Amino acid sequence: MNAERQQPQEESTVALTRRAPAELAPPEGEEERFLRPFAVDAGVNTSRPDGPVEQLDMLSRVVAARTPGRYEWLRPERETILNHAERASTVVELTAELGLPLGQVRAIAAEMLAEGSLQRCGPTRSLGHSDLLHAVLVGLRSL
Amino acid sequence: MASADSDTQPTEAIPHAVKIIVAGGFGAGKTTLVSSVSEIAPLSTEEVMTEASYGVDDLGGVEEKTTTTVALDFGRITIGTDIVLYLFGTPGQDRFWFMWEELAAGALGAVVLADTRRLDTCFHAVDFFERKGVPFIVAVNRFEGSTEYSAEEVREALDVPENVPVVAADARERKSSKEVLVELVTHVLRSRQAAMSG
Repeated sequence: MNAERQQPQEESTVALTRRAPAELAPPEGEEERFLRPFAVDAGVNTSRPDGPVEQLDMLSRVVAARTPGRYEWLRPERETILNHAERASTVVELTAELGLPLGQVRAIAAEMLAEGSLQRCGPTRSLGHSDLLHAVLVGLRSL
Repeated sequence: MASADSDTQPTEAIPHAVKIIVAGGFGAGKTTLVSSVSEIAPLSTEEVMTEASYGVDDLGGVEEKTTTTVALDFGRITIGTDIVLYLFGTPGQDRFWFMWEELAAGALGAVVLADTRRLDTCFHAVDFFERKGVPFIVAVNRFEGSTEYSAEEVREALDVPENVPVVAADARERKSSKEVLVELVTHVLRSRQAAMSG
């Protein structure tokens, strides 16, 4: 967090704040809770002019689009992500691998997607919701 | 979701990632259930939450900020080449609602683990899934020393509708945990069919 770090922007604060809806709001006196932006975006500029960065779900799957560069060790989180995502990996599994907070990994991964170091990948074989449920049921029964 | 992703370039098969939530009060056996059916030792991840005052991010008062880490454990079950199930245990304390929101998004369904010694600890979970429209079942975890309650008594105490299954379980037993999951998926399928037929 050096002097060059951007001031937290209104938009990024909104996007990254996970507040419970009103009906689930914590008891009085706790409303002031919020996520500190830098803790979430790890200094990544999430308010880029070309639109918001991609929203990643914890189970979004990403795969490395390149191998770690020569100086990747200077950014060890990215190096770890690139190595681990050599095979398509979910954001939450990358999080467990890195030992960093989920929001932070999500922000780094989103930035890496934007710059083309990672690619998002969807299931190879698409399944309708019903087929998916049936397959899950059959699979669980045969465990 | 059903559309093919043109960005996919690897040659390996990419499975569907399916999320199941295991909720319940603190110490109800969530992690035990996840561990007993997961093919890997549960992985741990965390989210950081800051409790601080509003307004300008000035340096004065920084010492009063407290950071809370919410741990989130998950297990995994691979089903063939097409599907990987992820089982997430909810953070034990009610105040970590922000994680629940995220967990509920896109979840296939939820298991609410009830501890009959402290049945009230799972009220919040039942409320939450009802409100969010996430299909759930209640699994009454057997604890040594706990009085045996019938499923009906638990159903009444929790005030869950007739169509929500309430089953007995032993979270330590892989077979039992597996049956709980089978019950959940069956319930989700049944609710879906009921919804489609009218």
